Amino acid sequence: MVSPVYILGGAQSDFARNWTKEGKHFVAVMREAAIAAMEQAKIEPREIETAHVGNFAAELYAKQGQLNAFFLEVDPVFSGLPTSRHEAACASGSIAILAASADIEAGRYDTAAVVGLEQMKTVDSATGGDFLGTAGWYERECKGVAYPFPALFGRLGDEYDKRFGLKDEYLAHISAVNYSNAKRNPNAQTRTWFMSEGNAQQTGKFNQVIAGRIKVSDCSQVTDGTAVIFLASEKFAAEYAKRRGMQLSGIPRILGWGHHTAPIEFDRKVAESRDNPYVLPHTRQAIVDSFKRAGIAGVEQLSGIETHDCFTTSEYMAIDHFGITKPGESWKAIEEGWIEMGSRIPMNPSGGLIGAGHPVGATGVRQMLDVYKQVTGTAGDYQVEGANRFGMLNIGGSGTTSCAFVVGK
Amino acid sequence: MKPLSKSVVILGANGTMGAGAAAVFAGAGYNVVMLARERDKAEAGLEAAKRAARADALGEFVRAGTYGADLERECARASVIFEALAEEIGLKREFFARVDRCRADDSLVATNSSGLSIAEMARGRSDSFRRHFLGIHLYNPPHIIVGTEVIPNPDTAPEVLSAAVAMLRGQLNRKVIVTRDRPAFVGNRVGFKVMNEVAQLAEHYGVAFLDYVVGPQTGRAMAPLATIDLVGWDVHKAIVDNVRANCRDEAYQCFTLPAYIERGVTAGSLGDKTPAMGGFYRREGKSVEVLNPATGGYEPYAAPEPIGFVERMREHNRMGRYGGAMAELASAEGPEAELARRVVMGYVSYALNRVGEVAESTSDVDTIMSFGFNWAPPGAIVDLMGARRAVELCERAGLAVPPAVESAARKGHKLFSGCVLDYGRTFFA
Repeated sequence: MVSPVYILGGAQSDFARNWTKEGKHFVAVMREAAIAAMEQAKIEPREIETAHVGNFAAELYAKQGQLNAFFLEVDPVFSGLPTSRHEAACASGSIAILAASADIEAGRYDTAAVVGLEQMKTVDSATGGDFLGTAGWYERECKGVAYPFPALFGRLGDEYDKRFGLKDEYLAHISAVNYSNAKRNPNAQTRTWFMSEGNAQQTGKFNQVIAGRIKVSDCSQVTDGTAVIFLASEKFAAEYAKRRGMQLSGIPRILGWGHHTAPIEFDRKVAESRDNPYVLPHTRQAIVDSFKRAGIAGVEQLSGIETHDCFTTSEYMAIDHFGITKPGESWKAIEEGWIEMGSRIPMNPSGGLIGAGHPVGATGVRQMLDVYKQVTGTAGDYQVEGANRFGMLNIGGSGTTSCAFVVGK
Repeated sequence: MKPLSKSVVILGANGTMGAGAAAVFAGAGYNVVMLARERDKAEAGLEAAKRAARADALGEFVRAGTYGADLERECARASVIFEALAEEIGLKREFFARVDRCRADDSLVATNSSGLSIAEMARGRSDSFRRHFLGIHLYNPPHIIVGTEVIPNPDTAPEVLSAAVAMLRGQLNRKVIVTRDRPAFVGNRVGFKVMNEVAQLAEHYGVAFLDYVVGPQTGRAMAPLATIDLVGWDVHKAIVDNVRANCRDEAYQCFTLPAYIERGVTAGSLGDKTPAMGGFYRREGKSVEVLNPATGGYEPYAAPEPIGFVERMREHNRMGRYGGAMAELASAEGPEAELARRVVMGYVSYALNRVGEVAESTSDVDTIMSFGFNWAPPGAIVDLMGARRAVELCERAGLAVPPAVESAARKGHKLFSGCVLDYGRTFFA
């Protein structure tokens, strides 16, 4: 029988840090997060049997590949540990989680550390924008474009506009909600920044248009960050619960997952979905699969969602793709305030990628850590009251790799 | 006391702290009124606040006005009155007398003083004023540095104190400690002790050498003398002189302002804010000159010869092995290492000996040093080098062993209450 995959907790770095200014090699903060994660989850280094590292582009940002090997630098006990590194752009963290889950389900290992990490503040914004272009079909849609991803996600908004109509004020509201939520998250990059709906609506010296309909306030952040979680088999989780005086049922599990890939080029995605009610049907299918595997009928059975708001348009897309509204009616959820804290289905209590920050390869792991915190009631000031089952969506590229999870007890 | 409603008047809107505070309050959704002597100065403050917040729309929340036309009316309807005037007690008292006559009875009145007597400012004011008055010391620049000290005066009502702390923590995202009303409070008392001691040592050892030996690798975002240039020699002098005049503690000698700084301030060398005159460093384009404190002249900056233990500490920090860096500091041999230990252990000893006198707890000292100064929390330094080793090093340097360190050494417990993620950012390579 396949073992369920339990989550034992973890830790993340403060996403407001600038590792370059600290003079740090990324391994420094990977060590910090891994050590803190083991302390918080009360796991000994010798109990970890494998490690999976999600990272997008350390070769570009830090001139370093094979990041999995750096996990051995955390503790001498890890010498010889089986490790691997995973890459699927902004979904790298989720792919690492899926690979670690598969290890546990297959019975190869009883515990796995999953690390997500990206160091991005090593280069200026134009160079970084170009690096991010490698998450698209670089040669066809990104080469020579100043900020390719804002341009692509601006076009996602345009596609909504064309099919259903889209007012930019809804995007501004999404931005303001994420910034506002981030103020309650002690690790959020923007927790001390100023943002208001009015500011997100207007274009000005400090809120310039980056590409198409995307302004600075519509964008997620350039972030140095890492997050670490531990996954475990039922066998290990049962022993772990026992020694901590807990019930096994008190430890969250990955109840369901979905994983789909769409054509990497944005134009092909759009062409493919022309007659589909959903603009990104593969993303929709990943979500539906996660619901099906979790045995839930739909979004109304979730307490909240951590979603992939690399731009306000991607969160706008997530609203109808999760089924909160009918396709094309995401604006209704915004008008009714459903996605806000304390409402029907809070989205991104953490502040999401816009508010909490978006260290590309770390994001999926950070989301999973936040989802874990929500369902264990340990999210502090950004806790969704009574949360027992949470959804998560992490996408790589312009909706290319979609990973969805349902986590609960 | 009910939670404070979201309206604030800022006095001294044209100063750095006034504009920074406006950005912080507006960022939390407060309606802010920025007052200055003249309208264009208040408006300049608003522009500075917009730049700090990087938000054109800050003006949605902020209005500008003058003391002459608007103070009485605005103070009467504000829930918070935040004073950020120049550090002159007479000036502050004059404004508080005016505020006392017009404020709403339940409004909070706060001074942003970085170390003057809070009780002295409240003296002579009405009962209601004194009950609602306290110090809220934001560090510069407040939209980036979140460490904040709250200083009640003897008559501050406990519920007012709690409401102020709740506002700062819950709405303004500050890392708050409550301190006693002693000169320079906790952060500046400790921080300026260390910086002035380094400035004294620079007379004998040289500026560039000192900033290298006790540089960022010892747990600080910026080397000490460069930090004095950043805060300004005039501000440094004011804080150090104030502590020296009003405190007699074990580090009294460290608060003697070096004569060369006294001369520099008189001549108008105030650090980074007077670029042509310079401070410890003088920059023109790409060229950097460094002060020779003995002669008062400037010489071309030359990076000091690398020293083994300093370079090894940097490499440890770069890789996140902060315990390795502290072990290196503790065990290195030679006069340079002695000098570095004198400053770092002097910091640990002085900071943790303030517990009970001005700070409530070790954890409060750690909080304000790491979030107000971006320096490694002293409790974490002790844990990283080992409390027994810290006791031994303090004793060897003739420094008072703080009771908390002595107890940690005896009982084998840790001093710092957080984890490595909470202090890692304060160790630089």
